[in-house]
Amino acid sequence: MRFLINFKSGKAVYQQLVDQVKVAAAAGSLQAGEPLPGIRPLAEELRLNRNTVAKAYTELENQGVIETIAGKGCFIRDAGNSPFRKDVRRKLLAESLDEVVVHAHHLQISREEFLQLAEDRFDALELKRARASTSSHP
Amino acid sequence: MTDQTPVIEIRNLVRRYGRTDAVDGLNLRVQPGRCYGFFGRNGAGKTTTIKCLLNLLRPTRGEARVFGLDPARDEVAVKSRLSYVPDAVAFYPWMTVRQTLDYCASFRTRWNDDTEKALLSQFRLDVGQKASHLSKGQRTQVALIAAICPEPDLLVLDEPTSGLDPIVRREFIQTVIGAYQDGDPGRRTVFVSTHLISEFEGLIDEFTIIDRGKDVLTLDADTARERYQKIHARFPTEPAGVDLGGARVLRAQGRDLEIIVNGNSASVLQALRARSPESLTTEALTLEEIFVSTLQPTGSVA
Repeated sequence: MRFLINFKSGKAVYQQLVDQVKVAAAAGSLQAGEPLPGIRPLAEELRLNRNTVAKAYTELENQGVIETIAGKGCFIRDAGNSPFRKDVRRKLLAESLDEVVVHAHHLQISREEFLQLAEDRFDALELKRARASTSSHP
Repeated sequence: MTDQTPVIEIRNLVRRYGRTDAVDGLNLRVQPGRCYGFFGRNGAGKTTTIKCLLNLLRPTRGEARVFGLDPARDEVAVKSRLSYVPDAVAFYPWMTVRQTLDYCASFRTRWNDDTEKALLSQFRLDVGQKASHLSKGQRTQVALIAAICPEPDLLVLDEPTSGLDPIVRREFIQTVIGAYQDGDPGRRTVFVSTHLISEFEGLIDEFTIIDRGKDVLTLDADTARERYQKIHARFPTEPAGVDLGGARVLRAQGRDLEIIVNGNSASVLQALRARSPESLTTEALTLEEIFVSTLQPTGSVA
């Protein structure tokens, strides 16, 4: 996968890596079992400190997005195989949703519009996944 | 992390040349495993500070400690655990690259031959070449190889990329620091002084800006980019009397306003939004922009 680092976004660089892997895994452009680049090659390619890449990988592992196999590297985990219990996963998502709901309030987006938008975004993600799965089996 | 002995600790360091205070009350602290930037303009006191760490100069006042040791009293203990690449590298001109590296290795208890081999081939250096025939870039490459092969706990680089062409710069700093830190990341510390900050943007974990011998700003790089934001706003009519909370005004022309905020972006944004701007954008400053913004006199245009 290709990473894009933007030093002007104000978001911590390791967090940008975390977010991009999560988006790619959710959209299916990174499939379960696929390897991530090694820490040093990726650090060199992106001209980053290896500490930054290592921190991103640790965070992804803590969140259950990837798993490290000793001596082999890091791999995308099967999302159907989350290490967290269902109630924990719901709680994690609720925290993120709270932020978005507050954001919606300030942008004067109504509950109905918000829910419709959420539907649209789910559709968009599923479309991406469908495209990714057809292109990966040529 | 904080209970570890800092790799470098400088307290109220003063170094005077005649009547000039080259370093004038500097403080900084580098924790193990970090890639630490030491940013300043030419003549700010960077090299003098580094020379105090290496016992090439004695401090006039204050303290410089490396690995918790006094470089003047425990010179061998300090120097055997670090490598230093000065801004101008000099080798014996009659030695070949091979002889130069062997000569450097003879002073060291450890030497990683695999690292040496990998970097020599990556840089396409001919080991039979005489040092006098090397370009400036190649000399720096040889110096960097010689610096990291002993696998020191601390790598001190003084303006490592100045005077080199941009392609060489981009490639090899990354390669060398990557190879160095790969071995034992938690213990391998880099201290790099430079005024070419954009080259090191992604590599730096933490930095100190030095100006006229004093530390003027020390921050974690991610925190810095989060804290310093450039805000651009455009209003339907010329705004007057907006409380900018001490932000630095870059441009205030008619309906346009461009400012740099430091840490209080939320309250400033709120004040700007209250004036119903047509557009309002924010972006983080790069480390180089933070450097420039910190060192420019705060004369604002507004």
